[in-house]
Amino acid sequence: MRFEDRKTALPDEVLMRVDKPSRYTGGEPGSVMKDDKDIRCRFVMCFPDVYEIGMSHLGIQILYGLLNSYEDVWCERLYSPWTDLDKIMREEKLPLFSLESGRPVKEADFLGITLQYEMCYTNILQVLDLSGIPFYSKDRTDDDPIVIGGGPCVYNPEPIAAFFDMFYIGEGEVVYRRLIDLYEKCRDEGVSRQDFLHEAAKVPGIYVPSMYDVSYDENGRFKSMTPLFDDVPARIRKQLVKDLDSSFYPLYPVVPFIRATQDRAVIEVQRGCIRGCRFCQAGQIYKPIRERSVDTLEYQAREILKNTGYEELSLSSLSTSDHTGLKRLLEYLIGYCDEKKINISLPSLRIDAFSLDVMDKVQDVKKNSLTFAPEAGSQRMRNVINKGLTVQDILGGSEMAFKGGWNKVKLYFMLGLPFEEDEDCRAIAELCNEIAKVYFDTVPKEERHGSVQITASSSFFVPKPFTAFQWARMNRPEEFEEKAKLTKRAVREQLNQKRISYHYHDSGTTIIEGIFARGDRKVAPAIVYAYEHGALFDAWTETFSYENWIKAFNETGVDYEDYIFRLRDDNEPFPWDFIDCGVNRQYLLNEWHRAAEAAVTPNCRDKCAGCGAASYGCGICVEKR
Amino acid sequence: MSERVRIRFKRQGPMRYLGHLDMMRYFQKAVLKAGLDVKYTEGYHPHQIMAFAYPLAVGMETYGDYADIEFNTVNDPEEIVKKLNGVMREGTYATGAVLLPEKALNAMAAVEAADYEVIYDIPGCSCEEVKEASKRAVETLLSSESVTAGKSGKNIREGILFADVSFTEGENRLILKLLSGSKLNARPADVFNAFAEAFGERKAVSRLIRRLEIYGKNEQGELVPLGSEGVL
Repeated sequence: MRFEDRKTALPDEVLMRVDKPSRYTGGEPGSVMKDDKDIRCRFVMCFPDVYEIGMSHLGIQILYGLLNSYEDVWCERLYSPWTDLDKIMREEKLPLFSLESGRPVKEADFLGITLQYEMCYTNILQVLDLSGIPFYSKDRTDDDPIVIGGGPCVYNPEPIAAFFDMFYIGEGEVVYRRLIDLYEKCRDEGVSRQDFLHEAAKVPGIYVPSMYDVSYDENGRFKSMTPLFDDVPARIRKQLVKDLDSSFYPLYPVVPFIRATQDRAVIEVQRGCIRGCRFCQAGQIYKPIRERSVDTLEYQAREILKNTGYEELSLSSLSTSDHTGLKRLLEYLIGYCDEKKINISLPSLRIDAFSLDVMDKVQDVKKNSLTFAPEAGSQRMRNVINKGLTVQDILGGSEMAFKGGWNKVKLYFMLGLPFEEDEDCRAIAELCNEIAKVYFDTVPKEERHGSVQITASSSFFVPKPFTAFQWARMNRPEEFEEKAKLTKRAVREQLNQKRISYHYHDSGTTIIEGIFARGDRKVAPAIVYAYEHGALFDAWTETFSYENWIKAFNETGVDYEDYIFRLRDDNEPFPWDFIDCGVNRQYLLNEWHRAAEAAVTPNCRDKCAGCGAASYGCGICVEKR
Repeated sequence: MSERVRIRFKRQGPMRYLGHLDMMRYFQKAVLKAGLDVKYTEGYHPHQIMAFAYPLAVGMETYGDYADIEFNTVNDPEEIVKKLNGVMREGTYATGAVLLPEKALNAMAAVEAADYEVIYDIPGCSCEEVKEASKRAVETLLSSESVTAGKSGKNIREGILFADVSFTEGENRLILKLLSGSKLNARPADVFNAFAEAFGERKAVSRLIRRLEIYGKNEQGELVPLGSEGVL
């Protein structure tokens, strides 16, 4: 079918009434059309947020390309309709549709939903609701797609377990083919939905919540989870790609017509991270670090730029500075992109002589700001969180940058970290002041272009599963506010306070995020309640209502405080204990205790900490150190 | 040294919901994908030198729009058309290209008028009734002394050079030739609204607006398509 002959799912008069109608029409370069007669499985892949956010996500592009490389599978995309279209669809009873075929989502074989952040949970319900699919897995029939979740939030899927038929724990490249084969076979043989789910529960990495029973102790706290059948595994092992060079990577990604939040060619330089920051979940669940080779990256960059016509290239990873071939890679890319008039958008590199030199080459005269993420103000707190960044790194890096002509510095901090004292909050202000002082001390008056500008912002800390801080007590909203005000006052007391601006994030979303991060199955009815009372797009400040959420927990009898405002006992069972992500509980507990002593643990490249990820037998764990 | 090529293009299907800036971004990417030797501006933020004659409104199709693109070297403009169409499959296609003489006005300044067709329905009306009512409405439109533009409130009657209705392939069309430019710019949606008003009680509803051609002037002051020889 020619692209221009495609019928849009929405009639013209609806498209002309909504903001950015191209969000809903599909047909972008790189999107894939298939013929019904050639396919056996229609997979709708959903990012439950607005198009511009969802289209910026690399993981969906990888899975979209991978699934469409299978002849019998058609993977289509789906994003949350923005509130304007949401309203029209409800009023006019229009069914939610996938972008490529324009057909109802309900008719698909699979509905995959990626869970990148907790605040998208009500958007899951919106997608199900507008599709006409029951919220709860137990209420679905053969007329409904298999609803499968993936992404980082599945490392504690329990609060939303009831909404999903299954979860995929780990990296999508590994077992999707096997799962789809099983599905096609079961359907051909007329196997019931229930029996298919039972079979799927035996596929490595696939977690089927309905195959497990959960028990609670006398306080109503999670106690244990047991499989309902002998042939269903008690623990689910994270699936992971061992060799990135031979794994699928999309060289023809979908290129949005309208400007997406991240609208550029992307190469993924590595997966995982060597730095064991104790607050960071990504650092643990993607272990061990696996690099893609420079040769592969150079090839992929050239191909993607040629195939998409993008004029900007970015490098994706958790900590790009740690790639062992970065210097060679950047030298090549700078040369190649300069010739082709392509911009390189640099990730936040560790500030040193090399990275400043690189930035000097790729940035224009109006030098952009420099970014540091010390996460904490005092050295003691940085040791507590195991952030291997010293005050010398920050001040030395700033000095080099100021001498190189930069005069804007951005700093990211967290407040509400475990073992935090008032003096640690004040240290944030003092650090900012020190940086300003470095500027005035090192840049002579006649060489200053405008004055130094320091922008510090702080978010509030949320303890996440599979981190050393999973036992931690979260601060109450009043404590957060107090700490933020204390920090603000301290900034105002500094000598260079006029050069410093300080902002802090909203504490309301933080609290709700904390509940979803470490909650259990009892949370689900509160999510339904909140959604039915108007909660949607909770990640957006203009649509988020804290009061509505607290009311939802109260009305549904969810003791939300117990999930977040309580220091957990070392031996307390967690709802997510059934997931085996390589990193074991004993290692995390040691790290929790070491945090209390402000003891630093070396990174993976310096010294193995014996976290357990070596059981995958790949990446840094098997490389020479 | 560089050479300026005026590319004629059409846009149809779901791509018509793109805004003007998104169309430009689409063309910039197509030029790179096609591997064309495009000319860039100097400076720290080099960008392709590209100018569109007449921004397309969201929802509008076109059979005859124009974009001027500068290249470092051009052998055969038709080759550019081929290469572009080799990478464009989404609903926008190049349909012709001419090398512009150095003195040619830039695309936007050259625009004097444009042809349109508006496909419309009158819900609840039989074929014959539609024909009769449409003919009366277009007569009313042409005989009125004032046609008001929705946004500006300006009288754009002078901007309607031609208007008629046609009924083919089961579709009702209002055919228009409208003045465009800085002095008087008649938009097809405004003219259609005035036409729809003339129906009285049963309103005509626009289904699709399609631009058919854009005109500039030649030395004799006659309207000629923007891609023809002799256009100023």
